[in-house]
Amino acid sequence: MRRNGGATRDAGAVPEDAGAATEGAEAGRNGAEGAGGEAEAGRNGVGAGWRGRGVGGGGEGAGRWILLGCTVAAVAVALAVVGTLAVETLRFFAFVSPLRLVVDSAWAPLAEEPGFGILSLVAGTAQIAAGATLLAIPVGLMTAVFLEFYAPGRIAAALGGAVDFLAMIPAVVYGCLALNFVTPAIAGVWPDVGGFNGLSAFLALAAMILPTIVSMSRRALRAAPAPLLADGLALGASRGRVLVRLVLPAAWLGILGGVLLALARAVGETMIVTLAAGNPQNLDWSPLEGVRTLTTHLAQASLGDLPAGTLQYGAAFAVAAALFALGVALHTLGSGLVSRGEDGGRHGAGVHP
Amino acid sequence: MSMLGPAASVLIAESLTVRFGRRIALSDVTLAIPEGRVVSVIGPPGAGKTTLLRSFNRMNELLPRASTTGAARFRGIDLHDARVDPVDLRRRIGMVLAETSLFPGSVFDNVAFGLRAQGVEEDLHGRAEEALTRVGLWTVGAEILDAHALDLPAGDQRRLCMARTLALEPVVLLLDEPTGHLDPVSAAAIESLIHALREDCTVVVATCDPALAGRISDLTAHLDGGGLMEYGPTRELFTNPRNSRTEAYLTGRAR
Repeated sequence: MRRNGGATRDAGAVPEDAGAATEGAEAGRNGAEGAGGEAEAGRNGVGAGWRGRGVGGGGEGAGRWILLGCTVAAVAVALAVVGTLAVETLRFFAFVSPLRLVVDSAWAPLAEEPGFGILSLVAGTAQIAAGATLLAIPVGLMTAVFLEFYAPGRIAAALGGAVDFLAMIPAVVYGCLALNFVTPAIAGVWPDVGGFNGLSAFLALAAMILPTIVSMSRRALRAAPAPLLADGLALGASRGRVLVRLVLPAAWLGILGGVLLALARAVGETMIVTLAAGNPQNLDWSPLEGVRTLTTHLAQASLGDLPAGTLQYGAAFAVAAALFALGVALHTLGSGLVSRGEDGGRHGAGVHP
Repeated sequence: MSMLGPAASVLIAESLTVRFGRRIALSDVTLAIPEGRVVSVIGPPGAGKTTLLRSFNRMNELLPRASTTGAARFRGIDLHDARVDPVDLRRRIGMVLAETSLFPGSVFDNVAFGLRAQGVEEDLHGRAEEALTRVGLWTVGAEILDAHALDLPAGDQRRLCMARTLALEPVVLLLDEPTGHLDPVSAAAIESLIHALREDCTVVVATCDPALAGRISDLTAHLDGGGLMEYGPTRELFTNPRNSRTEAYLTGRAR
């Protein structure tokens, strides 16, 4: 009768449940003749306990199982993604030395003498992401400073909302605009620009990551101790001096964290780069030429029919794993700096007046 | 107080009213602060003490939705005149805020900040020594300059905040709750510092503590609900208050 006991204990908080469980146990015992009856009693008791809980306990138990189930599913998906990437990548590396990723001069898994040099893709990614981020940092930071320290409340709210609007535009729209408007505009300045070019891609990408930099910088500036500004001004310093000497040094960790998060977005962005920079395979440092990045290459490779188990198939996973690792690294570092910046900001760490 | 001879007013508030949005923080306050005196502004929290102090160095305008009517004058000049540069004004009318914070960095960095902001680069050490001597922090000698400001005990931090402002040689010193949150020994040190300061500048102190006002000030103003209840020589106001609310506040019967 241990199972009965368990059911009764589980439902103990609700008297009716306990009653139901006992009733079930009773019914079982009445009809008990030998081992079969014993088992039945247990089943009945537990069944009554579960039913009782469903009715009397307001379904809290069932609800908790649903919540747990969904959580397990979400975690399972995450583990499956990481696991698949790891397995497929390791399988690829069993055939192709990881060293070749850096040693080979080109990425040409389909060639007669296949090359697996990932550097040109990494370089393309670096060029596009760094270009966009370097463009977005000064604009974003100055916007954040203006909104936090110069614009009156309502105007700051309106302008901040307009900047956030940039974050709501789907990437494909940025890509189309880059291809159809930005590139022709660039051609007006440099007529020999390619129809697909890196410059147009990182201009559009800069616009896309701008709201991240603005909002993360605003957050970091707000985390800086409030008296810094008042004290600095009370000591007869201009607002600009207080910002540069006191507030920005207190906020810089958080700002840097925001920049890394924006960089992570830029590294992972595919649609804008495909549409604006094309997808040529070359390592040409001119931003006026097309650029191939890890993401656009992966999109291209996955669109074709890759037979499972082939080297090309494995190669796509190696690229995906590299991209994944880069994203995880940037995100972890960025979020870490953001939270450290917020802790440190409260204590004013890092300020050197 | 007979010892007080006639003195020119260094600061004057004329029908001064300060609003933050719809809230009236200071309402129609008129008073004159004579040069070279210590003046206390007392009243319960929210009475408008800080707002009055901040009116005199135009710090209120940094707060959202602040608007001021009436006039605040420094040596006869309307502070809200377009020709008045608030940055320059704040060097001459120094203020130590109640919620003050030292800048992370050395004691020297803190004292030099305001001087450098003024463009002073010469003899920063000499000036820092002078300011630190005035607040009694130079007792350990020059090594105090390299100490990390945030490592100092709370009382010394408050004194450093005052040294930082005194280094600018202000004409008027506005002190908001100078002894707030301090232990009695540190508070007494700040108090004797205020006594010593009257030699070189006018001091206006905002405090919730009437006893402190009674000990340090020549004149006391009592604010309540943004309005000026009573203003006069400290001894008179304490021994024979004319306003019933002032009397109630001093005897601790109201709020």
